[in-house]
Amino acid sequence: MTRKLTGVSVIALLSVAGSAMAQDLIAPIGEGDFSWDALEEFAANHDYSGETLNVTGATTGDDAQRYRNLYAYFENATGANVEYSGSESFEQDIVIASQAGGLPDVALFPQPGLAKDLASQGALVPVPDDMVEFMAENYAAGDSWKQLATFVGPEGEEDVYGLFFGTDVKSLVWYVPEQFEEAGYDIPETQEELMALSQQIVEDGGTPWCIGLGSGAATGWPATDWVEDMMLRTASLEDYDRWVSNDLPFNDPIVVNAIEQYGNYALTEGFVDGGPEAAATTDFRDSPDGLFDFPPACYMHKQASFIPIFFPEGVEAGTDVEFFYFPPFESEADLGRPVLGSGGLASVTNDRDVTKGFLEFLGTPIAHEIMMTQGQFLSPHQDANLDIYTSDVQRSLGEILTTATSFRFDGSDLMPGEIGTNAFWTGMVDYTTGADAQAVADQIQNRWDEIQ
Amino acid sequence: MNPVFQGLITIAVGVGGIFVYFIASNAFLDKVLFPAKGPNASRNINRANTIRPWLFMAPTIIALSLYLVYPVIGSFIRSLFNRSGDEFVGFSNYTTMFASSEFRTAFWNNVLWALVVPSVSTFLGLLIAQLTDKLRWGNIAKSLIFMPMAISFVGASLIWKFVYAIDPELGVINAIRVNMFGASPLDVLQIAFWNNLFLMVILIWVQTGFAMVILSAALRGIPEETIEAAIIDGANPFQIFFRIQVPQVTNTIIVVFTTTTILVLKVFDIVYAMTGGNFNTQILPSYMMQFMFRDDGRATAVAIVIMLIVTPVMIQNIRQARAEMR
Repeated sequence: MTRKLTGVSVIALLSVAGSAMAQDLIAPIGEGDFSWDALEEFAANHDYSGETLNVTGATTGDDAQRYRNLYAYFENATGANVEYSGSESFEQDIVIASQAGGLPDVALFPQPGLAKDLASQGALVPVPDDMVEFMAENYAAGDSWKQLATFVGPEGEEDVYGLFFGTDVKSLVWYVPEQFEEAGYDIPETQEELMALSQQIVEDGGTPWCIGLGSGAATGWPATDWVEDMMLRTASLEDYDRWVSNDLPFNDPIVVNAIEQYGNYALTEGFVDGGPEAAATTDFRDSPDGLFDFPPACYMHKQASFIPIFFPEGVEAGTDVEFFYFPPFESEADLGRPVLGSGGLASVTNDRDVTKGFLEFLGTPIAHEIMMTQGQFLSPHQDANLDIYTSDVQRSLGEILTTATSFRFDGSDLMPGEIGTNAFWTGMVDYTTGADAQAVADQIQNRWDEIQ
Repeated sequence: MNPVFQGLITIAVGVGGIFVYFIASNAFLDKVLFPAKGPNASRNINRANTIRPWLFMAPTIIALSLYLVYPVIGSFIRSLFNRSGDEFVGFSNYTTMFASSEFRTAFWNNVLWALVVPSVSTFLGLLIAQLTDKLRWGNIAKSLIFMPMAISFVGASLIWKFVYAIDPELGVINAIRVNMFGASPLDVLQIAFWNNLFLMVILIWVQTGFAMVILSAALRGIPEETIEAAIIDGANPFQIFFRIQVPQVTNTIIVVFTTTTILVLKVFDIVYAMTGGNFNTQILPSYMMQFMFRDDGRATAVAIVIMLIVTPVMIQNIRQARAEMR
């Protein structure tokens, strides 16, 4: 008995040691297709031995572990010690910290809108000019990214306040290729074809769409993505930008039209599994399950690139399920093929040498590759090796991103918190459950007027 | 250091510190400041006795002003400033708030909550307390009913999410609708007005146990003689309950009722977790959450309104409790 126990504990010890080592470095330096020379060069120029860097963000659990795995390389290269703490209520915590003290050194914002607020209060440190140049040159559509991180500071001057790290592509429609083949459906190339396909599916006795807006207190956000994608496909980029900054009122006919374009799919009888009422409360994480029912509860699901995490177990993206680009209108051909996306912003909250070095580290291709190899991470970094992506789906998503001609950021993430993370959400729930598009838009604009 | 030790040390220092404070300050008063001897002994004793209560109350007064009075005043001042807190705007946060239709919805919903939840849970609590009193398995029934008290509001909401689920394979209500009546499933949380009541059911479910336990104890405290006398006089069970028992526990009923009312006015988790305030189910606390950390001027204005509503109920509660003590 004793011997058996010892054996077990030795194995336990070994596995603990093994996992501890794996935690140190997820990919051994020098092996594989990674840009190790970039890491070497970075290590040669930066030494922060003995310093501790505090990083906070919204990612927790396994997701946070992926970031810790990345920071291990920074620690390895510079000798610094990175303390990461993630919180589900990061958005509140960072605002409280900015007012009451206790800001970290670096904050990873899931949406830039909040960073904008904090920048205006002087809680963030502008990114040095050479880093700004770097982002503009090395990221695909770099100027758009630079523009997105440009905020007005406490003194009224404009600066770049962070480096984008990690992105999601939103203009995607997920489908099961097998179902499409069996029914003889083709991938639509235009909105007109998509609408025709939806009608075709209804005529064939199926249901084209699964839509789920439920997300606890954030219920409604998936519909804001629909509207934003429709804005990009029915209005010019200038109008989109003016809409986000409210120079174009929310209740303008252009915006109301975009809302109604979403309604053409969500509210049409027979288009949505369970009807619009069910769509309003079905959790967005459960919504795609309908794709994999037999017979399929629906054929298509529009959602961002992160959604495979929530597919039923055993479903493999790339083989069991594929995506196509949410197409533009043929009648609006001059608007091109816009891509809607979102991304996290890494901002410095404490001006130290080591924080600057950390930001530079996040700019190296190797940092992006380490995240890419762990899955569910897309990067617009042009020097990052696409071969590192763990699946074809990720690779083609990455391609959409790196070949994007016009890229626009998730508008609701850029609007003030009251609008983008509240009034817009609840407005879309109201619209989906029967309210009039104009009335909803008026209400959101009213709320916006109140805060100006 | 291990957080457990930190906690233990904090407790030891806090509790020990307050003991040391009481003993030392008392000694200082009696031995040094106004010693009960010498030429002014009697005057000193009187003075010491006037000061002593204040001395003993000082820690509480300081703690309460720091953690209760100051935040109330601070919140009120903050509610007079704009979004970013740098511009004085007078009562404009209040006027925009009263003008907003969402606030009015939240306000009336809250009134509804404050009327329905305390009355129903107190009534059910009283009923169950009486019915289970003489039963052999009454204690088992009571513990079952009391159990939801141990569940957090968010936990309770998650449980009821399953009950209300639109999928007839998950949701009890829709399972009954679909399987027994052949009707199509519907989302009960989207039915205007009634959805408020469906949300209240959750709090009633949680809160009935509390009312039951307190009222059950009160019912048992009633002198047996009064009931015996009523039986001998030929009263029927209903008369005994309503004419003899209830009047003797009225004070307890009021305390339970007001305590639940105060809780209702604070609860926001249920609405937040179930509907997020959508479908016209907004209540004041969750309405306040919408503004918190974004527009603190508006948020504090809502907070002050909630406080003004709670205060009379609370004063009533304290009065009742004091009357009970006499």
